[in-house]
Amino acid sequence: MTPFYFGTSSRRLFGLYTPGSARASRAVVLCPPWGQEYLRAHRSIRHLGNLLSRAGIHVLRFDYFGTGDSAGEMADADLKGWQNDIGTAIEELKDTAGVTRVALVGLRLGGTLAARVAAGRKAEVEKLVLWDPVVNGDEYLTEMRKLDAEIAETLAMRTTGPGDDSDRLLGFDLPERMRKEIETVDLVSSLKAASTPTLVMVSHALSSHAGLRAGTKHPVVFEEMASEPAWLEVKGVGVGAIPVKVLQRIVEWIG
Amino acid sequence: MTQTWSEQALLLGPRKSLVGVITKPTAASAEDARPMIVILNSGIVHRVGANRMTVQLARALADAGYTTARFDLSGIGDSEPRTEALPPLDAALADIREALDSLETARKARRFVLVGLCSGANHAAIYAGSDDRVIGSVLLEPAIPPSLLHHVHHYGRKAVRLESWLRALRGENALVERLKKKIAARIQAGAGEAASQLDEPRQPHITDPEVKTFLENAYGRLIARGLPLLVVLTGESWYYRESFLDAFPRLRFGSLLQLEFFENADHVFTSRGASTGVTRLIVGWVERTMRAGSRHAA
Repeated sequence: MTPFYFGTSSRRLFGLYTPGSARASRAVVLCPPWGQEYLRAHRSIRHLGNLLSRAGIHVLRFDYFGTGDSAGEMADADLKGWQNDIGTAIEELKDTAGVTRVALVGLRLGGTLAARVAAGRKAEVEKLVLWDPVVNGDEYLTEMRKLDAEIAETLAMRTTGPGDDSDRLLGFDLPERMRKEIETVDLVSSLKAASTPTLVMVSHALSSHAGLRAGTKHPVVFEEMASEPAWLEVKGVGVGAIPVKVLQRIVEWIG
Repeated sequence: MTQTWSEQALLLGPRKSLVGVITKPTAASAEDARPMIVILNSGIVHRVGANRMTVQLARALADAGYTTARFDLSGIGDSEPRTEALPPLDAALADIREALDSLETARKARRFVLVGLCSGANHAAIYAGSDDRVIGSVLLEPAIPPSLLHHVHHYGRKAVRLESWLRALRGENALVERLKKKIAARIQAGAGEAASQLDEPRQPHITDPEVKTFLENAYGRLIARGLPLLVVLTGESWYYRESFLDAFPRLRFGSLLQLEFFENADHVFTSRGASTGVTRLIVGWVERTMRAGSRHAA
């Protein structure tokens, strides 16, 4: 396990590389979710990385610019930039592990971004796993706003100090530019012309899934596996559950 | 604004198993006498902290000239579990010591200020009394035993709520319901099973007298060491600022303690106002306290 920074001096990204077996030709870039979901799912992403590594696969986990331990603030972040960050992570992993192709595994918004990147890097991305990806930007934001309101309701006080928190979501800044970008997210259009073998792993049903199934075809396959959502807090714990069976299935599918 | 710091990932501890990040002011030199600030995990949230608060605090402290390290305790975040089986508190204290040892050896840091939220605050308070290298602690929402006045506030507030009275009239009073459920469970479980449940080891609780004594002793050691403390409580957990002092009536913190109360904040300082407010407070406290400490040492 090697934690390190990579990327350019103006866009330093935190990464954690876990080597696979000595002769491994498989490598995976893990693309995390955003905001509160990133924090809650961190230990599942770590666990997935460890399972992949134990299966002999090289793994790079990383944080997008303006998130986690990476440089920058949300004010300077945008989806296009995060897609470029995934591209930078691909280059880094290819270079570090000595492989020519990688698989991408993304959770929630990370899955959606991974699908966009895979569409533009078909020669380099050999497999794609979209774990409960964000299908529709409006649906995603509505879901998070609802959760934000529910949490505020359960607290004894409204947790707004001085200032306006309307450009924040679940404790994370969501600048207007980013919000508008997320509103335009449409996974169906990213997968319409997909030629990369793609697994859509669904553990949490969304109303947008019917449209996603109808709008995609082979080599995009769907699997459903009901489990606790890794990206939501187990009450009072601060982090999400680890859905071990989902992780094991992803490793099996990649391997 | 020009960035005045740089960040580096590192592995701490004798087994290089604790993953951390160091935020270093660009202008810092090896001869810098300022202490290093070390930020601990809160609960099992990884080193980035709730709402990315730890990262923002580290960078704000680096802007003020202080090198800051954040790392994951063993088994949390990216750090490997310890190889030997230790009780959780002992493991956390051993991790902190090993991390400080690494930072002393590799980074020439000789003095430290520990910062923690929730369990991180507890670890900082308990550890600081045992290591002379620690010269100050920032405790955000530490666990403190509720005082009599806390209970008065708690039940007083409930008592004046119309909804509480309505619930009681409907037979939906929460306390009554809890008691009813406990009694029913005990009857259903049967005498033998109930007896075996009583034999199960019970987790220590903040209201236990021995926990209160343990914490009182820990804070007593900090006072004996003359360690400056910044303690911050929030309105989500406590009803009033002096809860901390009332929890330990036998202790005399005097001028060592700066006690602050964020009445409108939740436990993890989620709102922008609370988050920026507590960050500013910590940076100001570190600058003021450490400057005063340097003069004192000179």
